[in-house]
Amino acid sequence: MSAVLSLEPSYYDALKRLTLELAGITLGDDHTFLVETRLSALARKEGFENLSDMIDQLFSRGQTRLAIQIVSALLERATQFFSDRSGFEILGDKLLPTLHPLYRGGTLRILCYGCSSGQEVYSVAILASRMKDVFPDMNIEIIGVDYPSLALERAKEGRFTHFEVQRGLPIRHLVDYFTRDGEDWVVNESLRAMVSFADHNLLSDPNSLGTYQIVMFRGRLSQYSPAAVVRIMRHLSALTSANGYLMLGSQDTIGKLNYGFEKKPIALGCYVKPAEIKIEAVIEAAPVRSAPPVEYKDMYRA
Amino acid sequence: MSAVQKTCLVVDDSKMIRRVASRILRDLKFEPLEAPDGSKAMEMCKVSMPDAILLDWNMPIMDGLSFLKALRKEPNGDTPIVVFCTAERDVMKITEALEAGANEYVMKPFDSDILESKFSEAGLV
Repeated sequence: MSAVLSLEPSYYDALKRLTLELAGITLGDDHTFLVETRLSALARKEGFENLSDMIDQLFSRGQTRLAIQIVSALLERATQFFSDRSGFEILGDKLLPTLHPLYRGGTLRILCYGCSSGQEVYSVAILASRMKDVFPDMNIEIIGVDYPSLALERAKEGRFTHFEVQRGLPIRHLVDYFTRDGEDWVVNESLRAMVSFADHNLLSDPNSLGTYQIVMFRGRLSQYSPAAVVRIMRHLSALTSANGYLMLGSQDTIGKLNYGFEKKPIALGCYVKPAEIKIEAVIEAAPVRSAPPVEYKDMYRA
Repeated sequence: MSAVQKTCLVVDDSKMIRRVASRILRDLKFEPLEAPDGSKAMEMCKVSMPDAILLDWNMPIMDGLSFLKALRKEPNGDTPIVVFCTAERDVMKITEALEAGANEYVMKPFDSDILESKFSEAGLV
């Protein structure tokens, strides 16, 4: 069964190359399907007559904002609440109790790097909210960052569909932390007050984001090209405070270099960044662009 | 291995919903059983308690909530994991179901991912 494609064939490969250039991620073999399904909605939102008009505009005029929107839409992940539950057990059973003595009377900051539509951010907030009785003297802030996208806008709004709230979210949490609004469910103010979101290109300089005691980047590393992995790992290290933790997915490892973390995980995918550790030399990998290049104009012609 | 296969009783007055749910449950390695209302379901539970019950709310003869309240009073009636599966989305209704002893709650329409997620949260898959 072959799908009806609305773009010239060369555009699909050009979009695949653009995604690799801007985000360091290689789209899979199903990228024509992704382009058709995800970009059509974006084209409508951006006021284009159809998908073809939007892509024509991108490659003929080279609009930076549009390029980022398009790549973000292509990379949007299907996420669910409390995804990879073992990570939340590590967070609640090990990391928060370990960090509590250090941040008693203060604020502990958690970053969800690449938060997509926000389910992970709100899941962490629910966990933190339920542990308030255990750590009444520790304030917890959760920040989610990702490329600007429709998904991130929905995360900021805290609005989820009937189907989204039924994937991974126990019904008692739905009742306690959400309010029904028509067909959707909206996060309650008590939870929303604990979280914030920001637009951020994951491959760009992270210094403006500050540092965090826990940085979560779970289950994403394998999507990235080797050059982009090096860059991302450096950013994750810079974002993690001394004695802080990096949470990758349970299947992920930091690889051959330590990037300032202890090489041996304290739990599956979870690494500590000691105050003193020799950072192993990082062999300079092929550069990955942190800002949209101008060359993507007419890229589809290549 | 049918000896270790968990049973799930699907209680719904819609034959189509029972059929769809049973197919999903088979994929989740359950042995599905079916009942068209709470009264028939209670008869079946008195013979043999299933491991799980997927329960509609609005049904003729005996509705889901009445069935659940009666079930929890039966000997071993506290053992089945009960997942409500209903078009009722009102928070008051959900709370009422939980207070009556429901373990989880699915709002129709549902798909296989939702059922798997709910049964996983209930520790059944």
